[in-house]
Amino acid sequence: MDARNFTFMFYGFLAAWLIVLLYVISLARRGARLKKELEQVKQLAGAGRSGEQARIEDRIR
Amino acid sequence: MRSLAQAFSVAKKDLAIELRTKESLNAAGAFAVVILLLFSFAFDPDANATRELGGGLLWLVFAFAGALVFNRSFARELPNECLDTLLSSAISGASLLLGKALANLALLIAVELVSIVVFGIFYNVRWWLRPFELAAVCVLATWGIAIVGAVFGALTVNLRLRELMLPVIIYPLLIPLLIAAIEITNALFSNQPLSAYELLWGRVLAVFDIVFTVLAMALAETILVN
Amino acid sequence: MREKLVIGLAVAAGLLLAYNLYHIFLVLPDEALQGAIYRIIFFHVPAAITGMTGYFVALLLSVAYLSFGNLRYDSLAASVVEVSVVFSMVNIVTGSIWARIIWGIWWTWDYRLTSALVCVLIFSGYLMLRRAIDEPTQRARLSAALCVFGCIDVVIVWKSIEWFRTQHPGPVLSIRTGGGHIDPAMERLLYLNFVAILMIAVALVLIRTRQEATAREIDSLRRMANAV
Repeated sequence: MDARNFTFMFYGFLAAWLIVLLYVISLARRGARLKKELEQVKQLAGAGRSGEQARIEDRIR
Repeated sequence: MRSLAQAFSVAKKDLAIELRTKESLNAAGAFAVVILLLFSFAFDPDANATRELGGGLLWLVFAFAGALVFNRSFARELPNECLDTLLSSAISGASLLLGKALANLALLIAVELVSIVVFGIFYNVRWWLRPFELAAVCVLATWGIAIVGAVFGALTVNLRLRELMLPVIIYPLLIPLLIAAIEITNALFSNQPLSAYELLWGRVLAVFDIVFTVLAMALAETILVN
Repeated sequence: MREKLVIGLAVAAGLLLAYNLYHIFLVLPDEALQGAIYRIIFFHVPAAITGMTGYFVALLLSVAYLSFGNLRYDSLAASVVEVSVVFSMVNIVTGSIWARIIWGIWWTWDYRLTSALVCVLIFSGYLMLRRAIDEPTQRARLSAALCVFGCIDVVIVWKSIEWFRTQHPGPVLSIRTGGGHIDPAMERLLYLNFVAILMIAVALVLIRTRQEATAREIDSLRRMANAV
């Protein structure tokens, strides 16, 4: 009984930490994905704006 | 008072539309009968246990059939931009929600009447012994279901996964109401006098109804702005 | 500055946890009736309190959003709900493992377990709703409304299910019973571990909120790019 008691105590602590760890990993992955997306969209917005500026300059010229 | 009149006119409109085609009524009614049939395979319908489980069974059936009714309630307004027209009309959000809830109430009570009769036949339960108390419980509990269904029907109307999201969201919220209805209905079906325990659940029903109706009225504009 | 706060919190939580774990495993004796397994309480109860506190903090934040319209409140509310659901899951799973040894069953429909499960379901619905809506303002508005309904329902659910069933051990914390149910050394450690877990929760909320802000930035940049 005692051995099983200890085993389950270990499982309990393991479960608690595992759940939090899985959440932290999912947070990290989401963070990396968001960062990549931000870079892409920044490039897109920058390119768009510079393209628009070029068009305006063409028209002025 | 004007808002109450507006609510009634919204309810009348919905009921008129529904009575013309009866699609929600038929679907919900048929669904209720099918579930009652399926439950008969889950356990032995002749045993005495049925009388003890009867209330639970019945309220689960009402809750599931209700989901069909709520889904249609606001979804019906989507074609031809009827929802936008309603929202930009002079009817306040609270009246609109109240009217939808009243229509849901009427439709659900119709389904419940049919279900109780079928239930009595299938499971040999004498539900008519305490008609007034049963009617009171049905109306109070169904109002709680109707108002929650109206609020979340409005909330989820524009979502692509509406039919999936609505049951997932409202059933956990309805748990206290369902417990209360089940406890009182079980006592009524066994023809026991209502003890303090059941009256406690009656108070829970009343509190639930009041709290959620007030919340719904207060948050109506928030939920309905498009 | 925010990164420093997160790292500071994480380090402080780590140190406190190390101190607590030392005490939990090496200083405190086994409980008379339960043996070693009772030590799960030091994570089970603080996780529960963190979860429930989070839900009510989210209620306040949702009301703040509905009153003032600042999307930051919505991001914070979403982050708090998400972290609270995680800690509630920790509560339920550790409770289940504890119950397997003590009561012999993985699950029972006792009122605290049932209510905890209902809370997790309500707020999982909140998280699912957020994923189903793309437009930020609509998402904020609707999830705030659901959060208000959900939190008020949580109160009614807890009381109802308590009246409906009871098998879970009664209150043991001195603030509720006036002392005598739990050894003071254990109770002190319980509160200390609660502080540690709360710090972890706050750190996670801060990280998540930062991610929400990034998502908002991406969204507005996209709109700008599309407009151009």
